[in-house]
Amino acid sequence: MESKNQPMLQAIDLSKRYEDGHLALDNLNLTVETGQVYAMLGGNGAGKTTAINLFLNFIEPTTGQAVVDGIVTHEEPLKAKERIAYVSENVMLYPNFTALQNVDFFVKLGGKTKYTKEDYRKVLLRVGLQEEAHDRRLKGFSKGMRQKCGIAIAILKDAKAILLDEPTSGLDPKAAFEFIHLLNTLREEGKAILMSTHDIFRAKEVADIVGIMNLGKLVMQRTKDELVGEDLEKLYVEFMAGYMDEVA
Amino acid sequence: MLRLLIEKELRDIIGSTKFTTTFAVCAILILLAFYVGARNYQVSMNEFEAARSENLRQMEELTNWNEVDHRIFLEPQPLAALVSGISNDIGRTVDVETRGELSSENSRFNEDPIFAVFRFLDLQFIFTVVLSLFAILFGFDAINGEKERGTLRLSFANSVPRDKYILGKLVGSFLALVIPLLLAVLVGFLLLVVMGIPMDGGLWARLGLIVLSGLMYFGVFLTLSVFISTLTEHSSTSFLLLLVAWIFAVLIIPRTAVLLSGRAVDVPSMDQINYEKATLENELWDQDRKQMSEFWRSNPPSENESREESMARFRRFMSELADAREEEQQKLAEQLNENRRNREFVQQKLALNIARVSPTASFALASSDLAGTSLELKQRFVESANLYQQTYATFVNEKTGGMGGGWWSRMNSDEEADPIDPYELPVYEYVEPETSEFINGALPDMALLMVFNLLFFAGAFVRFLKYDVR
Repeated sequence: MESKNQPMLQAIDLSKRYEDGHLALDNLNLTVETGQVYAMLGGNGAGKTTAINLFLNFIEPTTGQAVVDGIVTHEEPLKAKERIAYVSENVMLYPNFTALQNVDFFVKLGGKTKYTKEDYRKVLLRVGLQEEAHDRRLKGFSKGMRQKCGIAIAILKDAKAILLDEPTSGLDPKAAFEFIHLLNTLREEGKAILMSTHDIFRAKEVADIVGIMNLGKLVMQRTKDELVGEDLEKLYVEFMAGYMDEVA
Repeated sequence: MLRLLIEKELRDIIGSTKFTTTFAVCAILILLAFYVGARNYQVSMNEFEAARSENLRQMEELTNWNEVDHRIFLEPQPLAALVSGISNDIGRTVDVETRGELSSENSRFNEDPIFAVFRFLDLQFIFTVVLSLFAILFGFDAINGEKERGTLRLSFANSVPRDKYILGKLVGSFLALVIPLLLAVLVGFLLLVVMGIPMDGGLWARLGLIVLSGLMYFGVFLTLSVFISTLTEHSSTSFLLLLVAWIFAVLIIPRTAVLLSGRAVDVPSMDQINYEKATLENELWDQDRKQMSEFWRSNPPSENESREESMARFRRFMSELADAREEEQQKLAEQLNENRRNREFVQQKLALNIARVSPTASFALASSDLAGTSLELKQRFVESANLYQQTYATFVNEKTGGMGGGWWSRMNSDEEADPIDPYELPVYEYVEPETSEFINGALPDMALLMVFNLLFFAGAFVRFLKYDVR
């Protein structure tokens, strides 16, 4: 079913209700094309991470489908994951390994075996990890440094789609700025990026489409062009409040 | 993929400080067990040789074979120093008489009771207690720990088949822990050679199998740990559960099995049996005394019978009485002993079968079977002493011309006799059974250890296929 004309990431009527009855995601529909960045905004419990978990097949959908490059993730999870790179909010790697060893392991786990150490170093430098840290064990790494390793792993996997779960949460302003610059480059390289974030300003800066989620529902979706001249923060607050009133 | 996962596990474990510390302690303990075992064997061998020579030396002064206080000794076995089993609990000496029941005495613990309090630091102890804890320490957070750290999520964001991941985890952990331990064991083997412990092919094969069963036992606790870590959300919970499991497996189940079988099967105590034997002996003595006192009245010496002839007739009569009494006593003793043995056998069998619920019991039984220090050791020693008793009785009879009852012959001998040559005594040698017999005895328990491994491995495997990796 894969096709070059298909959207890279697609949620089709995607819902997830847990065994305790909690509806974490309610009929989500979104599309991320090749060379697009989609930012999901929303508070805690909005369903952003649930959506990402469904794309990664960490959980099975109650209804609907998460589709990666035409592959339904819960039907062919291994095939779908070959096309995804993932960076979590808090990248956790093996503390007894050096940065290079961690990168080597996870990149090989992602199916890429041709890289040399020099390739790893180049990418680590590209994401802003100083050379002196490459051969150090992860034990003493800050959250930001680990995050950079995680991003390097995602880049080296060279997947068609990238899922980012609060990627800038641990980064200092400079690193966050560099990260946004990196996302722009990845977009230019043709990656489809789905990002969940609390950071409205970064979302507006980098995203081609912004979706606001609340209580498992996608309550607003605007393209970059539609957001020109709009105050995204105001929109966010209005939509969150409006939806809350509606629910009430 | 599988190779990558195994390599990662090897590197992750071996690179940890926890491993360096724990491995150093275990390696030292293993080497210490080999060294102490080898030293103990050398000391025991010296003691054994000295005791044997001393026993012969004491006989050098004697002039009558009936006065000989002959003792045989159980020769120390090299593997018993590494897996002591019951070798320190059973008597290692038997006082051999030409007739009567034999029993072993002077156990190692009888001579050095302090060792009975703390037992020995042998290879079996290290595997049973230390290495099982070592396995738990490295396996309790195998899966839930990775989840807590967040590495499981990152790993499964890739196209990693779960079966390969869990297989890699188990194989990698096992190799990472076992290879360094094997190195320590190999140095221990070398130590045996350097210290001149007489090891033939059979002994090496048995020692190899002891180590193999130890590794299988180690594997049981490792696979159990991984299994429990797939069943629980938090590593603290799995650690607690595994400690409870360890206490039950190592300390409670084997002891409870003995208590339960003791309740289920009643075995008459040795005191009870000795009392019955003594009662019969008294009864027989009373009867014989009556016959003795009536001997001269019912068989007065004839006129043409000399004093020596009538005394010889009396000695024959006494000898016949003693033989008949002995036969009667032996019959009862055999009956009582056989009954006790049978009940003891049933009790032991029941205790061992209950205890086998615990892998610790299976390993203890397999290793002591292979080392030749299992429960059968005592029986084998006594049986071999009984066989020797026949040879010894024939020898003494030949030497004394069948004149039993040393006190009687001494009383009636006025002649100055030449000293005996104790080196003429038939040499007692404890011959161990064939290697195959030891191996066959250990195979069921080794198979049981394999079953435990497969069971926990299958549990971990099946559980992980549905594990929530988030």
